[in-house]
Amino acid sequence: MADEPTLPRLPPSLLVNDGRKRGRSMGSPPTHSSSTSSDPAFFSSDDDPALDNYQNHGRRKRRYVGTWYDQQPASSDSGVGEDGSPSYHPPRRSRARSRARPQQQKRQLKRQLDSGVWMGADGCSTDTDDSVDLEPVAARLPLALPRTQGPMQSSAAQPQGWEMEQIVRDKILACVENGTEQVDLSGLDLESIPPGLLDPISEITPIPTVAKDVGFEQRDPQIKLFLSNNRLASFPVGLLNLEHLTVLSLRANNLVKLPPAIAKLRNLETLNIAQNRIRYLPAELLELLQKGSKLRNLHFQPNPLWRPQGVLVDSEGAEEYERLTFGARPEAELELPWSGLTTKLQSRTPVHFADGVRDAAGSTFTIPAPDSDAEPVCPLEPFSQLVVPEALAREVRFQGATSKLINPRGPKTLLELAIGACAASGQADRVVRYLREEDRVPHYLAPVVERAAAIHDEGGLRCAVCGRATLMPLAQWLEFRQIGRTTITVDAAGRNTDCKFVGLGDGDRALLVPFLRVGCSWKCVPARVEQTKGKKVQGQNGDLRVKQ
Amino acid sequence: MAENKYITLISAEGHEFVVLREAALVSPTIKGMLRGPFVEAQTGRCRFEEIPSPVLEKVVEYFHYWYRYRDKEDVPDMEIPVEMCLELLQAADFFNLDAMQTHRNTL
Repeated sequence: MADEPTLPRLPPSLLVNDGRKRGRSMGSPPTHSSSTSSDPAFFSSDDDPALDNYQNHGRRKRRYVGTWYDQQPASSDSGVGEDGSPSYHPPRRSRARSRARPQQQKRQLKRQLDSGVWMGADGCSTDTDDSVDLEPVAARLPLALPRTQGPMQSSAAQPQGWEMEQIVRDKILACVENGTEQVDLSGLDLESIPPGLLDPISEITPIPTVAKDVGFEQRDPQIKLFLSNNRLASFPVGLLNLEHLTVLSLRANNLVKLPPAIAKLRNLETLNIAQNRIRYLPAELLELLQKGSKLRNLHFQPNPLWRPQGVLVDSEGAEEYERLTFGARPEAELELPWSGLTTKLQSRTPVHFADGVRDAAGSTFTIPAPDSDAEPVCPLEPFSQLVVPEALAREVRFQGATSKLINPRGPKTLLELAIGACAASGQADRVVRYLREEDRVPHYLAPVVERAAAIHDEGGLRCAVCGRATLMPLAQWLEFRQIGRTTITVDAAGRNTDCKFVGLGDGDRALLVPFLRVGCSWKCVPARVEQTKGKKVQGQNGDLRVKQ
Repeated sequence: MAENKYITLISAEGHEFVVLREAALVSPTIKGMLRGPFVEAQTGRCRFEEIPSPVLEKVVEYFHYWYRYRDKEDVPDMEIPVEMCLELLQAADFFNLDAMQTHRNTL
């Protein structure tokens, strides 16, 4: 338990014991893993400064309602207000009768404002007669139900489609207007997020603190976005444009994978992807898991991650493999002490070769489909081996350097160019349908176009080895890595003296996480590490061995 | 008979495109037509009854694009008009201009 990652600190402005919303998650079982997957208890509190007086009553609606009528003999209201009965009628009616008292007219204005926020209902701005008084009471029910009983049982009052979109838009706009950096879109049963809906979040600018003797300074926003407890089946691509995102929670959704472009979120400090259906992480995420990066907290458990078959430890080979395959990257010395998450490579799987049209081109190993229900165990391949399909030798013999299959240099194929144009046009789905349904067209191109469009929509994909953008990955393999926390201290001379790596995991058994590497050609594959005793021998990327 | 340096591709509408032979040989389909015991091999004229002129024109443009950049690094992408991408997809398939040039034919 000593390895337990610490939760992010709560901002001092928030009350620590206000855990009400998070506490009623949708019946998720407590996890057996050592790392807790819960989000920190952030939520929007009622920021109206006029309410500060009522903080010691707690934050519950009942108290809240009661206090509006504090000056009236309102003790009877606050007692029964919680069960949703229209209990504030007496004071309102009494107000209507004695309209001459100015204090109560002020209250009328505030109460309107408040009911709008709490009910999430718009357009209820008039309350001149008693019939309107019922409205806020009725609107409380749909808010309360999903929180307590889970999303499925609240079908009757469930807002859908554009209504939900409107709710999300209103919440975001409220944050933009108030300068609130925490955008809480959790528990809304969102199944997908239309493109552009999240864009206004990037307009949030924090309200600078103005204090005496402190220079006015505009700081970058630190946006915290909570999308937990929804039903998202795919990563909302729109948030990849939110440069200043520091906390992202996608906990308890239906995600199957993360897009490679997640590496664009360089300011991310906390990423919570627990309780999804994720099978592997993109290798691009490693850019956020290296020395000097900002990511401090990564909650990825529980998820049905793929597991390695057996154990294969070759730390020297792993180092050599990384150097030869991805080029020598001398680790920069850090100027300041640093603590964060890094990874340690332990083993890799064989390479899954595809020819771009057919999926497995005589490849012995196939990466399972991410949405299959089975819980696959992946075989491992030593770093000194590389099994390649027989077709490779034939391709080398017949086509030589002109084949795009083995040579990523030079112009793209016409097929790749046309697929790229399809994907960029935004009409790929129509092309796919046409290819599927019409006669006398190459049907087998439909899945190729579909996959390319998906990659394009996710923000693109780059070859792990040569760095070229590709829409048709021809080689894929998994790396199993241990994620751990590294602490680096710096001595007076600016040298990094002490590097400590403490792996996350259950006790002594290392927890290995699969990361997917993608190559754009059959040459962009893991380098084979020559194993001679104690001596390192240079290998080349193209130094392939054909399986007998 | 000495091989002519250029060959002629003829579209469905009868438009003729004169292409550098070496450039057109990037397509295994054309290579097969020109190397086999066919009329095309003797005349150097290939007729494509199913391919309309604008598409064939784009294919010919690709042949030259490929020929120009065939051993260069960091090649700019050729522009593909969106409205033509489906037809070019089929043309690429017809001319075997995908990553697997021989692989699929020899399977």
